[in-house]
Amino acid sequence: MNAQLLQPAFVDPVLDAQRSFRAALKALAEPGLIQPLSTAPHLEGLAPATYALCLGLLDADTPLWLAPGFDTPLIRANLAFHCGCPLAVRREDAVFALLGEHDLLDLSGFDHGNDRYPDQSCTLLVQLSDLDSGRGLNWSGPGIQAGRQVNLPLPQAFWLERLRREAFPRGLDVLFCAGHHLLGLPRSTRIAEECA
Amino acid sequence: MSLSPRQHWIGVLARALRSELIPHEAALRDADYQLIRAPEIGMTLVRGRMGGNGAPFNVGEMSVTRCVVRLADGRTGYSYLAGRDKVHAELAALADAHLQSAQPSQWLSDLIDALANAQARRRAQKEADTAATKVEFFTLVRGEN
Repeated sequence: MNAQLLQPAFVDPVLDAQRSFRAALKALAEPGLIQPLSTAPHLEGLAPATYALCLGLLDADTPLWLAPGFDTPLIRANLAFHCGCPLAVRREDAVFALLGEHDLLDLSGFDHGNDRYPDQSCTLLVQLSDLDSGRGLNWSGPGIQAGRQVNLPLPQAFWLERLRREAFPRGLDVLFCAGHHLLGLPRSTRIAEECA
Repeated sequence: MSLSPRQHWIGVLARALRSELIPHEAALRDADYQLIRAPEIGMTLVRGRMGGNGAPFNVGEMSVTRCVVRLADGRTGYSYLAGRDKVHAELAALADAHLQSAQPSQWLSDLIDALANAQARRRAQKEADTAATKVEFFTLVRGEN
């Protein structure tokens, strides 16, 4: 590991990690609601919210798969130092995956869990440029009382790809990050046609 | 097993007393530096082998304090030490960073040699004290007949 590349992470490691974990919990409990994460550190190439999630969720027991766009020496060195997480070479071995918006059209290979242990699936951390510039879709399901309009800037092909991989209770949970905000998309959320 | 010079000084710094490092605090902190990993206290599991070569077993947990600093010129100093002394951890990491300069001779002679000598004296003193309590056991002949 190159010590020159290391940078400070959380200012208050314990409380900041708890805040980012809490934000991730809330994001998955209330799908489609944007959760702020104000105390996130900066790392070149990663949005503050993405980096804060990595610092809060990853440790030595969670192999991470890095999309090629994030596979820089700087990110590798800092994740290895602050999280201690192993980097998975194959998607099948990953418990978390870090993806960009261009990696969403092919979600093959990630672990969907199994019928007995659906919780062992791979959780996708997806970094976007923003969370509200796309066309509106109507989300419904657990955690949403009446239906919620969400405007994620995602291609139609992503929703088809997600639908193809859905076999409840197996499936993929996704956390979208942009800037200091994150938004959860658990496998239980149903996506309806766009709002009028 | 031979130690590299850096292994030697990191070990000496970890075993030093806090009171021995405090006199050097001003000199150690007299540089631009940032905390990559602020001093933090945690637990580590100590494992041992019976007789030094038996099967490994867990002896128990101990508290450990660690710290990583980087000087403005990019030298990165690490420290891991037993106990819960954050100031000691930060000073030891700073000393490790300073010692990685091209000419560490001044720091070595000022700090490390003095600390190593003091530790050797303490160890010799303790061994002498312990040796004085040595008891020679001998077997009493039991009156069997």
